[in-house]
Amino acid sequence: MTALKGAVGSGLARVDVREKVEGRAHYTADLYRPGMLFGAILGSPHAHARIKSYDVGEAMTVPGVQCVVTGDDFGDHRMGAFIKDEHAIAKGKVRYVGEPVAAVAAETEAAARLAARLVKVEYQELPAILTPEDALKPGAAIIHEELDSYFKVFDTGSRGNICSRTDFTQGDASAWSKAEVVIEGNYTTQPQAHVSLEPCGALAEIDAAGRITLWSANQSVFRVQANVCESLGIPMAQLRCVTPRVGAGFGNKMEAHIQPIAVKLAMESGRPVKLILTREEDFEIVRARHPFKIRIKTGAKRDGTLVAREVEVLLDGGAFADDSPGVLGNGLWFSCGPYRFDYMRAWGTLVYTNKLRFGAFRGFGNPQVTFASEQQVDEIAALIGMDPVTLRERNLLRGDDRWFGGTEVGSNALGACLEQVKTRSGWSRRAELKPSTPERKRAMGIGVTAHVSGLLATGAIVRMLEDGSIVLNTGAVDIGQGSDTVLCQICAEALKVPVDRIRLASPDTDGSPYNWGTTASRVTYTTGRAVVAAAGEVERQAKEHAAEILECAPSDLELRPGGQFGIVGVPEKTVTFAQISARAHWAKGGPIVGTNSYVFDRPTFDPKRAIAIGLPFPQIGALAFGALVVDVEIDEVTGKVEVKRAWSAVDAGRAINPLSVEGQIEGAFVQGMGLALSEQMVWDGARLANPSLMDYKVPTALDAPYDIEPIIVESHEPDGPFGAKGVGEIGINAVPAAIANAVAAATGIRFNALPLAPERVLRAMLAK
Amino acid sequence: MSVPGFHRPATVEEAAKLLACTEGARCLAGGATLVAMMNASLAEPKAIVSLAGIGELSGISVLAGGGLRIGAMTRHRETAEDARLTGTLAVLRDAARQIANPPVRNMGTIGGSIAFADPAADYPPALVAAGAEIEIASASGRRRVAAEAFFVDWYTTALGPGELVSAVLLPPPRPGAGLHKKLARVSGDFAIVSVALSLARQPSGVAARIAIGGCGPKPLHIAEVDAMLTARLGDADTARSAGERLAAASDPVDDVRASADYRRLVIPRLVAAAVAEARTALEAK
Amino acid sequence: MTVALKINGAAKAVEAGLSDTLLTVLRDQCLLTAAKRGCNQGVCGACTVLVDGRPQRACLTLAANCEGATITTLEGLKRDPTMMRLQKTFASLGAVQCGFCTPGILISAHWLLARNPAPAIDEIRAGLSGNLCRCTGYRKIIDAVAAAGRTAAEAGA
Repeated sequence: MTALKGAVGSGLARVDVREKVEGRAHYTADLYRPGMLFGAILGSPHAHARIKSYDVGEAMTVPGVQCVVTGDDFGDHRMGAFIKDEHAIAKGKVRYVGEPVAAVAAETEAAARLAARLVKVEYQELPAILTPEDALKPGAAIIHEELDSYFKVFDTGSRGNICSRTDFTQGDASAWSKAEVVIEGNYTTQPQAHVSLEPCGALAEIDAAGRITLWSANQSVFRVQANVCESLGIPMAQLRCVTPRVGAGFGNKMEAHIQPIAVKLAMESGRPVKLILTREEDFEIVRARHPFKIRIKTGAKRDGTLVAREVEVLLDGGAFADDSPGVLGNGLWFSCGPYRFDYMRAWGTLVYTNKLRFGAFRGFGNPQVTFASEQQVDEIAALIGMDPVTLRERNLLRGDDRWFGGTEVGSNALGACLEQVKTRSGWSRRAELKPSTPERKRAMGIGVTAHVSGLLATGAIVRMLEDGSIVLNTGAVDIGQGSDTVLCQICAEALKVPVDRIRLASPDTDGSPYNWGTTASRVTYTTGRAVVAAAGEVERQAKEHAAEILECAPSDLELRPGGQFGIVGVPEKTVTFAQISARAHWAKGGPIVGTNSYVFDRPTFDPKRAIAIGLPFPQIGALAFGALVVDVEIDEVTGKVEVKRAWSAVDAGRAINPLSVEGQIEGAFVQGMGLALSEQMVWDGARLANPSLMDYKVPTALDAPYDIEPIIVESHEPDGPFGAKGVGEIGINAVPAAIANAVAAATGIRFNALPLAPERVLRAMLAK
Repeated sequence: MSVPGFHRPATVEEAAKLLACTEGARCLAGGATLVAMMNASLAEPKAIVSLAGIGELSGISVLAGGGLRIGAMTRHRETAEDARLTGTLAVLRDAARQIANPPVRNMGTIGGSIAFADPAADYPPALVAAGAEIEIASASGRRRVAAEAFFVDWYTTALGPGELVSAVLLPPPRPGAGLHKKLARVSGDFAIVSVALSLARQPSGVAARIAIGGCGPKPLHIAEVDAMLTARLGDADTARSAGERLAAASDPVDDVRASADYRRLVIPRLVAAAVAEARTALEAK
Repeated sequence: MTVALKINGAAKAVEAGLSDTLLTVLRDQCLLTAAKRGCNQGVCGACTVLVDGRPQRACLTLAANCEGATITTLEGLKRDPTMMRLQKTFASLGAVQCGFCTPGILISAHWLLARNPAPAIDEIRAGLSGNLCRCTGYRKIIDAVAAAGRTAAEAGA
């Protein structure tokens, strides 16, 4: 086949890159609508309190104020991804410091913020629950008193302050008797803030017919639609959600933030309202990565065969459930690692506390459990005197091995990933590494991981316009990871046209097929599959037309590059898309539209192989794999840990756009490095102490190593689009573990808590 | 002026008068601190006196005796690039180079920075180590204060009402070396702890001046510690003892960057490392 | 409450109160939205613009203090050869993901190349150390700046 421009496998420049480098890309805050007002929120000063009354009188006197809303203006409707426990704005009760309790729309942002501060709210304080342990104590104040009445998507086991519990078991516990070495340890990880460069925001406008259009920083126009309509008690058909450019997500924009409030302000004022959070508000009220407490026990034989593992976790979920039950389930599901065990049990509890809700964040529990599980693998290797890579190679899932719970593994090139990082890093010669100065220690560390690509519902519509050009509509939001381009490449490849013949329709709940969202590394695989199928539909319909035009049978025809069909073996007999489409529009059949819609339906758990209690995702799969080696130095003067080089190999099935795949690997690495070394949300009592970029530090260009080598390994996922799987999260999961393994190799000290901040490392080195 | 409350005087004296007489007036130098506070609603000045129009305040010049005068509005970038800050004054240049990042160094000024007196900032200990004096202007004239006396307490300086920093005055650069060793969480962050060290070649050996930042309300400087180091600069134990003396005298707090305990723990280690590094630099010349 | 500004080579009179920043004025009044508000504290760098030819934080610059200053935003550099080279290498080398940091990074990179036409990798890292990116991990951004520098050298610019 002639190489068409932008074919699958080409590191094509992204379809949206010109507008971004020219500064013309419009994010939510860049949008202006005639008559637009600005919105601002007032946050609760208390972590846990009943709301007794509001006084908006003084707020209303601020010049420019058009309306003020409080919980009293909202009905008793709740939203939530797994447990519908959340109002659009605090109603009756506040559950964390900063929780929105009132909102104002005014002619200027300054007026809105001033007025918001002037809203008076009378509270009756309740005891604040700040840790999961406190939440579980008998007699503890109950954060969600109506928990029993909330709608729940699965059997969550909610009671008291327990939000959900999950328990997965596979195999027979008698397998422990075969273990000749057993390691048990406790690990903790810290809350991490997403710090997407674009703070969350929304712009809502009501049209003359009373229908609402909502632009917002989002990862799913459909989740925004559902959340806004559920929490406002309005029919979903009344709300049209669209998306401007999004300045990164990583999970914090997947579920609602202030969209319901912005919509309400627009409804009350009758004018468009734009509400953009400050960076401080973004830290305080959106969501963050769950801190995990992990107890893990791994048993092996002396020959290195892994035999049994048990993982127990306790999650602080914050004030609302949000995606947390999913994080609990996903974390447990991945806590086995990509290994064979005769017995595996993973269970845990998610608990409400009076802090901001923890929610989806790249990895979705996997980085946290992997910090524990991949260290244990190294600990076992050390105990039995085996090289950590060799031990892993011995136990990797291969061939027909299934994942924990029984789901099939399609393609698996983890062995090749491991081989690549081992070779390229010079792993076997790592003992020869010299620190860059005498006061440093230096070592390498390794970690392997897997992550999901397929879940929930998606669709694609491929339309051939009158002139033969193609419009693709999938409803998938590009949050910067490059899905717009990848989906166009897939469509172009399927229809054998250059990629610039495909135009993408922006996600729009009015016209796009349902797409659960840009999360869980799912768009390339899940939506890409729908695109291939829809394009196939277009090909089938077009072929019928072509056959009639060329007076042959459809089976005589082939799709040729450049947007045409021809008779096999007869080069000069062709008919173009334009000709076909004209016929379809004006003569016969109707405009050609290919559609596909499906929900990923491979079961996560096979009840014949494993038991699952409290399963948040009953149908999830299509696993990608990764291996990571890091080269780390520790400054013995200060305890500061620095990553000098990294090799990250990812089996993403097929790299539709290799440049974008590399970008995901590199970006995920640095974000994981922040989780491992420098980022930490700190609470001062009930209040977040560092909700600003002055005080919460993410890696800069000088902190991130330049020498990050992304390695693409292709394996071909059988039902993936052109063999592709997901790649968004696989690059972050093993980072904290690999760094901790390197630090352990360099210092002889195991660090069971994140982050590996200088103080922790120095004290441990001095204590040794 | 076209914006009510906004003043852009042409002389230092005019600026001082405005500050003294205008209610709720704040002085605007580079904006890195004041505007950030205004954006966060932590400062709501009723009037702003911008120093941008005062020619006298900008630039680094050589004085009659060979000393240097850094105008208060001199941007960190200029200070970081000035080759005349060499030898015993190199510590100041090294400190300026590590403040924040390039765009902020284009905006932030030495006068603005020291007037705010953030204990974790880079200039305070470096100015003490360099033996600087601060020139303070008011409507009635100028006065000078040693850098060490200028920093009084947490975010508190010797500036009185209606006074502003007009210049930093430095003794002439003499043969020597210096460095500003800064420990921070990430590049460009404020210091957890910083060690500012200036070494001067003497006929008899090397004289040292050392000050610690980030570990108390103001830069920590102890003359006896200077003397200890001056007497036996090459001895690792002396460097370590000097650091321990400083750590014992420090008064750090717990904050989001680090704990007080960690700061005390790391001061002697950083001092020893700074001394070793500075000595190497000196020997290389 | 009008302030006379010079933006992208044109005179522009804007309404500004005492506390209005250059960032707010550029975005809300001039509709020059390339400069972004990422933190409003001068840390993230998404608001970086050129003031008298040097990168500064528009969020920490008071509009009232800008009279007489020459302000250049990304929009004003669209025919600048160095910027065009940077835009080309950023596009072709995968240096842009969500794009929110991109305008600020391009301004900082532009200034770096103006002063140091063929910078080493560590010089690029230092030059960009005041611009946060959460998506890319910086690698491809650094390579794109290096490539833009090399292209200029090759072109004899």
